[in-house]
Amino acid sequence: MIKKNSLAFRRWNTLKRAFRVLVIGGLLMPVAVVYAQSYDMLLEGGHLIDPKNGINEPMDVAIAGDSIAEVAPQISPDSADRVVDVSGLYVTPGIIDMHTHVFHGTDPDAYIADAHVSVAPDGFTFRSGVTTVVDAGSAGWKNFRTLKAQTIDRAETRVLAFLNIVGVGMVGRYEEQNVEDMNPEMTALMINELFPDLLVGIKSAHYWGDFTQVERAVEAGNRAGVPVMVDFGEHDPPLSLETLLMDKLRPGDIFTHTYSYTRGREAVVDEEFNVKPYVLKAQERGVLFDVGHGGGSLIWHQVIPSMQQQFWPDVISSDLHTSSMNGGMKNMANLMSKFLNMEMPLQEVILRSTWSPAQVIGREDLGHLSTGADADVAVFRLKEGDFGFLDARGRTMQGNRKLEAELTLREGRVVWDLNGRASPSWEEEPRRY
Amino acid sequence: MMHACYQMTGTNTDRIPWYFPGMMLAALALVLVLGSACALAQPYDLLLKGGQVIDPKNDINEPMDLAVTGDRIARVADDIPASEAATVIDVSGLYVAPGLIDPHAHVFFGSDPEGSFAGGTGSVSPDAFSFRSGVTTVVDAGDAGWRNFPEFKRRVIDQSDTRVLAFLNIFGDGLTSGSGRYEMDDIDAEKARAMIESHPDLIVGMRVGHFLGESWRPFESAVQAARRTGRPLLLECHLPELPLSGLLERMRPGDIVTHAFGEVSDRAAILDENGQLRPYVREARAKGILFDVGPGGGSFHFSQAIPALRQGLRPDTFGTDLHRYSMNGPMKNMLNILSTYLNLGMSLEEVIAGGTWRAALALQRSDLGDLEEGSVADIVVLDRQTGDYGFVDSGGMRIEGDEKLEAALTIRAGRIVWDQNGLSATAWEE
Repeated sequence: MIKKNSLAFRRWNTLKRAFRVLVIGGLLMPVAVVYAQSYDMLLEGGHLIDPKNGINEPMDVAIAGDSIAEVAPQISPDSADRVVDVSGLYVTPGIIDMHTHVFHGTDPDAYIADAHVSVAPDGFTFRSGVTTVVDAGSAGWKNFRTLKAQTIDRAETRVLAFLNIVGVGMVGRYEEQNVEDMNPEMTALMINELFPDLLVGIKSAHYWGDFTQVERAVEAGNRAGVPVMVDFGEHDPPLSLETLLMDKLRPGDIFTHTYSYTRGREAVVDEEFNVKPYVLKAQERGVLFDVGHGGGSLIWHQVIPSMQQQFWPDVISSDLHTSSMNGGMKNMANLMSKFLNMEMPLQEVILRSTWSPAQVIGREDLGHLSTGADADVAVFRLKEGDFGFLDARGRTMQGNRKLEAELTLREGRVVWDLNGRASPSWEEEPRRY
Repeated sequence: MMHACYQMTGTNTDRIPWYFPGMMLAALALVLVLGSACALAQPYDLLLKGGQVIDPKNDINEPMDLAVTGDRIARVADDIPASEAATVIDVSGLYVAPGLIDPHAHVFFGSDPEGSFAGGTGSVSPDAFSFRSGVTTVVDAGDAGWRNFPEFKRRVIDQSDTRVLAFLNIFGDGLTSGSGRYEMDDIDAEKARAMIESHPDLIVGMRVGHFLGESWRPFESAVQAARRTGRPLLLECHLPELPLSGLLERMRPGDIVTHAFGEVSDRAAILDENGQLRPYVREARAKGILFDVGPGGGSFHFSQAIPALRQGLRPDTFGTDLHRYSMNGPMKNMLNILSTYLNLGMSLEEVIAGGTWRAALALQRSDLGDLEEGSVADIVVLDRQTGDYGFVDSGGMRIEGDEKLEAALTIRAGRIVWDQNGLSATAWEE
């Protein structure tokens, strides 16, 4: 027995302490090593634009598994297995395209629902920085399960959907006139009970009659607690746009094809190129204005005066389908670039294609790069040069800036790499001969 | 007029006014002059002005204007007056070439729950990929066989704006499994021959691949059907039991081996362990067998392609092997493949030749792939861009490049189907 306070006692205590430190340290060391190398990928040297978190500055982004692990200036490259140099580029949340038609299929008697006008999303999304698309009412409650099986469950892109108030969805313009098939109860029930994680709203579109379709959609929207998106434009004579925006739609509802100019609908800009006062009032009251470019719904003499008079869209979306994919719309990066060249600052463009649509559809887990969020990430190059942009009437607007998707991650996986920056150089491979 | 004729042939000729013939002649002259003036004023629908025309078939690589009327190329000449066309497009600084021909793609898309290439989501829709990459013709690489070719025609060929042709799979139900099959019960060279002969303008040859057994029967039946119809055979991948040497030996001039520069586990590479082209590969090449790139998702490696190029084996054609699993990978699109080879040292004329005229010849479609007066107006206008680019192979290895081709304008049968920067449009302010 060692006497207390003797030198031997003190030496023994020191020895015990040292031993403890060594044992615990030894146990912790593998943990420390793991902790030091805890990221799968580091996007290094880029300029981060994350509107939700108010970030618009140089920032590194580290990813572990399928989530954002750390967002900070100058994260050590030793902390990641794979370091991707994104200097000179803009890092943003994966783009959310809130208006698309992806219910592709082979029904010869239909056009958008399970048919040829819709497209398979993965061939369009990642190459334009898009990681989430929202189908805009191609299906109603009668055929949504087919959309889920054929498209949603098989796509790598995240696919969500507005449910059409018409039960059969966009099978044909004729069928879309059937008021008997506009069932708010069944529509709301599918959203509330069956697919609350996939169905984000109600779509009203292509109706030739009066306000009945909009009213039924709003009723379903009230029952399900989701917004309504309205494609309003085929009435002869046109119905009052002011009534729609000020009386029929609720704050949080969405008016799409905002900058269209078509015989069946009143335009947002009058014949003297002034934005109509009630349109601005509607936006103030909380109605959301969506671009929904499509094959016919963006006209320069609507959108350019609107931009100049501060009537900016709340959401930028493509209305992707076979009649818009090869025309003036092309893809989301091209569409975002149009607004850039109409003097919308880059962070505002990014806001309207990420965090804003996420909020509109009630999916605040998306559209940002907070720690713990899904690692859906887009990396863009902002190119300078002489570019031309086409509207739906075959008219050009010249521009000097254009976004190009360099790298896209979906849940932490590289799904698009334009220039192979996430790939090693072939000279690094040991030559066998 | 009829009345006058009656009078002229009648007996009472003194009823015809004396000035009548003169009036008729004057009217005729006026009509002719006005008519030809109109015709001369605007004989063309579209004029591509100020570009560099590259037409490999005719060995043209010089500044020239190109005019289109209807769906045909009407004139290719120096300085065609702008007043002669309804629409004039300034293509100065750009290259005007025949629309690209992709001899290897999987476009029998559909919603088959098995997700296969024959009517499933393994295949893709051609129009979504073609025009934006300057491609106006794609050839399906055997997704359909003699059983389902009519469905392929109805659903894809007839409904696409892209011109779609096809190699017919020797298996009747086409490409039902991405990994390959063992069963041989659906082989019928005679039915294949009959299907080709009922669609001679659409089916360009036979295709064999994705067979895991030891039997030579599928290959030999495909060769038989090809021979009987005077068409080439497309040798595809996943024939693990059939040695490449034996396959090439049994192939004839004009047959095509695709995935030529791949380093894959189930097929010999064209280079031996010392990086030298194998003798039987050289012999095949000398015999006239064609080599297609077809990177797809796993069949193009710089470790094969670069030494092969250095030893004189250039690709004959630049097929993409486009499908669901290659569309977002390193292959990207046909222009990316052409650009890769541009950066590896092939000239612009050579890569365009491989993407157009040589592909047309390989498919025995000499009506395609050129810019001759009278040919169908399938045209691409290319922008040769400079910058810092990376090109990646199937092993994830990257080379750096400083040139890249982009489609500025694509025209299909005289119609503009892709306009990258609005070259064909008027400014919105006007």
